[in-house]
Amino acid sequence: MITTFLGHELKAFWRSKNTGKSIAIRVVMALLILYLFACILFAGLFLDKILEESFPNDDVVISFCGIILLYFLFDLIMRMQLQELPTLRVQPYLHLPVKRNTVVSYLAFTAMLSVFNLWPIILFIPFVLKVILTDSGALPALAFVLAILGFMLFNNYLALFIKRKANLNGWVFLVFIATLGLIITGDFRFHLYSVHNISYLYFGHLLSKPVLVLLPIILAVAMYYINFAYLKQNLYLEELSSRKASAYKSSTEFPLLNRFGKVGDLVANELKLIFRNKRPRSALVMGLFFMFYGLIFYTNSHYGQTWYIFVGMFMTGIFIINYGQFMYSWQAAHFDGLLVSKINFRDFLKAKYLLFTMVSTVAFILTTPYAYFGWHIVLVHFVMYLWNIGVNTTIVLFFANRNAKSINLSKGASFNWEGVGATQMLISFPLMLTPYIIYLPFSLFKHADMGLAMLAAIGIIFVLTRDFWVKKLEEDFMQKRYTIAEGFRNK
Amino acid sequence: MIEVRNLKKIYNGITVVDVPALQINKGESVGLVGNNGAGKTTLFRMVLDLIRAESGEILSNGEVVAGHEKWKDYTAAYLDEGFLIDYLTPEEYFYFIGGLHNLNKAHVDEVLTSLTDFFNGEILKKGKYIRDLSKGNQCKVGVAACLLQEPELLMLDEPFANIDPSTQFRLKNLLKDLNKNKGVTTIVSSHDLNHITDVCDRILLMEKGVIIKDIATSSSTLNELEAYFGVMSPSEEKGI
Repeated sequence: MITTFLGHELKAFWRSKNTGKSIAIRVVMALLILYLFACILFAGLFLDKILEESFPNDDVVISFCGIILLYFLFDLIMRMQLQELPTLRVQPYLHLPVKRNTVVSYLAFTAMLSVFNLWPIILFIPFVLKVILTDSGALPALAFVLAILGFMLFNNYLALFIKRKANLNGWVFLVFIATLGLIITGDFRFHLYSVHNISYLYFGHLLSKPVLVLLPIILAVAMYYINFAYLKQNLYLEELSSRKASAYKSSTEFPLLNRFGKVGDLVANELKLIFRNKRPRSALVMGLFFMFYGLIFYTNSHYGQTWYIFVGMFMTGIFIINYGQFMYSWQAAHFDGLLVSKINFRDFLKAKYLLFTMVSTVAFILTTPYAYFGWHIVLVHFVMYLWNIGVNTTIVLFFANRNAKSINLSKGASFNWEGVGATQMLISFPLMLTPYIIYLPFSLFKHADMGLAMLAAIGIIFVLTRDFWVKKLEEDFMQKRYTIAEGFRNK
Repeated sequence: MIEVRNLKKIYNGITVVDVPALQINKGESVGLVGNNGAGKTTLFRMVLDLIRAESGEILSNGEVVAGHEKWKDYTAAYLDEGFLIDYLTPEEYFYFIGGLHNLNKAHVDEVLTSLTDFFNGEILKKGKYIRDLSKGNQCKVGVAACLLQEPELLMLDEPFANIDPSTQFRLKNLLKDLNKNKGVTTIVSSHDLNHITDVCDRILLMEKGVIIKDIATSSSTLNELEAYFGVMSPSEEKGI
């Protein structure tokens, strides 16, 4: 039975929308994943060198023993954020004559198939083979491998268990995260204890007494059974599903937008779309993190103004780039409704412009504290802000007319390739290159300020001629609307 | 009201809609029946300019539908949940749709109050987003949004499929009232032959994309339709 399940799982994987992409996208995706994989493998293979560099006073084995538990602590936090519950996929089997134990073991088994269970292996095992095996022999090395796998599985099932509990009661999640936070601050802020030392205490002794390996194994097995028993008792859809028990949802209004009439209404809807759905919300939150992007560049005198243009564009326009590249896929689910209702497409486009302008303005205001590094930086930001609301918005909307991939709003953004297509690859070229095509000729001839002025001027011209672009985009859309709507209907 | 000329839609070499001529007059109530895959929804989508026809054209009030937007002023339709903005609360959605037709909130509230029975206390002030409603309740939201627009042409695709018996009954009365007393042209598709013959004065029967029967409803219509569908093999015969 388990093999049948696995067969179905493989089919689900190969036939899912994400894998059914064009060859080019798959190649790029594979390369990216391989690159990430290679980076971690590299870190794993040279962990001894890295540890030597970071802790020159300690023996490599001591520092290695010290970081393992620290890793697993942060691993747990990452899992809480990112690991998906492998749940709803069992729904089609629940009403069939399949034993509950089989379904539950299958669930518990597939829970192991997570990338998080790959990282510790490729990060730590090479070190164990390289150093521990040669220094202390086979038995301690085996103990290390088993202990690492044990902690990994313990984390795996603990995270899933907490997540399942949290689905029924949101407080569980908060309490758990707060506990983790306390553990970390207790160590790094108040120095009450040291996870590093505890980790060394355990793994150091593991070297001399391999029997201690039983501890993580027992922990992992216990956690597995708690999870198993819990699942078996609660094999009901509402408890399995990742949808949280919903609180009362009230209607919201944005009085500020009322003055913009129908365009304002459309913007209000889009804001609600962003705030009430997981994936666009994370796009916005990621944008907020980008506000710190400047700290990397402005604190380092290596980078000159040529870089500041790039940084300024990203900080004031990250939302346009990050959210805009998937337009109009965000509205895929109700695109038919939009097409049929009495919405003038010009208003629809104007709403996009208004939304971008508003968010970019907020982003620009948020970046003004960078004046600390000189007012010139704020000037560059302002120029790139004009560029963003003028040129980049238009570029993004031009590509939006060429994008017909639907997006499921309720899924998280991390490792989510849904809606990614050739458009998102192509769009980055004009976005990244155009400002430099204009700026670099001036800066190479020592007239960098002229280059900035050109960027600003072009940005302003585009803002002033928006009506023209809206008209052009509308004509373009009228040609492509059937293709777009068709694509969105194929979920 | 609606005129179809030489309309054809082909998917992968298979003709899914082929209507040489069809005239629907103002004030008619038309029912569309046919088994799955007969082309009802495709026809609806073409009337709403959501998919491009291979050939032919559809005129609404004498104006070609494709590429024009005037028909949106007097047409309201609910085909499936894809017509609803599912992350809004029903109230927000109604005010949004009302706003598109320049109706103020008070006006929208008034219309919603008149639909209290139809909603049966399950739509308004429930504190749920549309996506959290059941399919039947989503259908109620879609139908109500149509009524809000005070259309001259109303199109519903299988509105009876997911709603409870009381709502089916109320919806039938609503449709009759709109058609008889307010002169609204209605086009409704359904698999329920009882409902459709009850509500509609004219029945179009589709098979494999072609309208094979065009009958004015009379006391014998139901029997005639049952005879047609009864010929099919039992597995294809579905009441609802």
